[in-house]
Amino acid sequence: MSEPPTQVSIAAGPLVGPVLRRVVGMFAARADLPLDRLDDAVLVADLVAARAPSHVTDTTVDVELSSGSRSLELTVGPLRSGGGRALVVDAAVPGVGNVIEQLADGLDIETRDGHEFLHVRLAYDGTP
Amino acid sequence: MLSPRSSVPPRDTDIRLTLPARAENVAVVRHVLGALAEALNLDRAVVDDMRLAVTEACTNVVRHAYGGREGTIDVVVRPRGELLEVVVTDEGRGLGPSPDTAGPGLGLALIEALTHSFEVERSDHAGSRLVMSFRRLTPSMGMA
Repeated sequence: MSEPPTQVSIAAGPLVGPVLRRVVGMFAARADLPLDRLDDAVLVADLVAARAPSHVTDTTVDVELSSGSRSLELTVGPLRSGGGRALVVDAAVPGVGNVIEQLADGLDIETRDGHEFLHVRLAYDGTP
Repeated sequence: MLSPRSSVPPRDTDIRLTLPARAENVAVVRHVLGALAEALNLDRAVVDDMRLAVTEACTNVVRHAYGGREGTIDVVVRPRGELLEVVVTDEGRGLGPSPDTAGPGLGLALIEALTHSFEVERSDHAGSRLVMSFRRLTPSMGMA
């Protein structure tokens, strides 16, 4: 059974990366993701931490985390209009491509109350 | 009524965590304090005191605030000059002994001993808010 989501709100600044990667890493481990997918989740957290401050509506980066059986969902936002797609595009690395798109099993942008929310889902379907 | 998300005005250095009040999530809070300590290069002794005091505060919420119901812990961490302020809030029945204990326990006394200052706001129906301040530098490090 999945538990209610956890919300993390960090002032856009140097603490976003260190705090977010720790929390995401812990929830990925709790979701029983294997090590390579845990690394992927932490990489996504680092990218969100680096890119999201340019696209948030306020002065904080807000992330909601929900972990299930071998899955982890991050909801980033509120983001300004167009910020969801822009955050994903900003995560592209020359020669590698779009890292979030490549790592995520699901990627959605939801519009709610005039703001955007980026949903990133990571999962593992392999045999334990 | 105390509202975790509105009772503490946001600052530009805030970290806020809102988690289900479950024992396993106390570890998440401790982990975040570890990340903060690394990022701010805090003294080890300060970090140890902070972790222990915040663990006591969060454990108090998990054990006593909701009486078996689902609820949340709200933790705000604010670096403020030479102080680091941590605010732990719940929306349950507030701090104090649970029906299964005979006395108030050592939690608040321990928190008082570990913090530079602390204050408690509580209500039987609107939860509790524990504000703890820690010095970021120990006296031996030459703090004025």
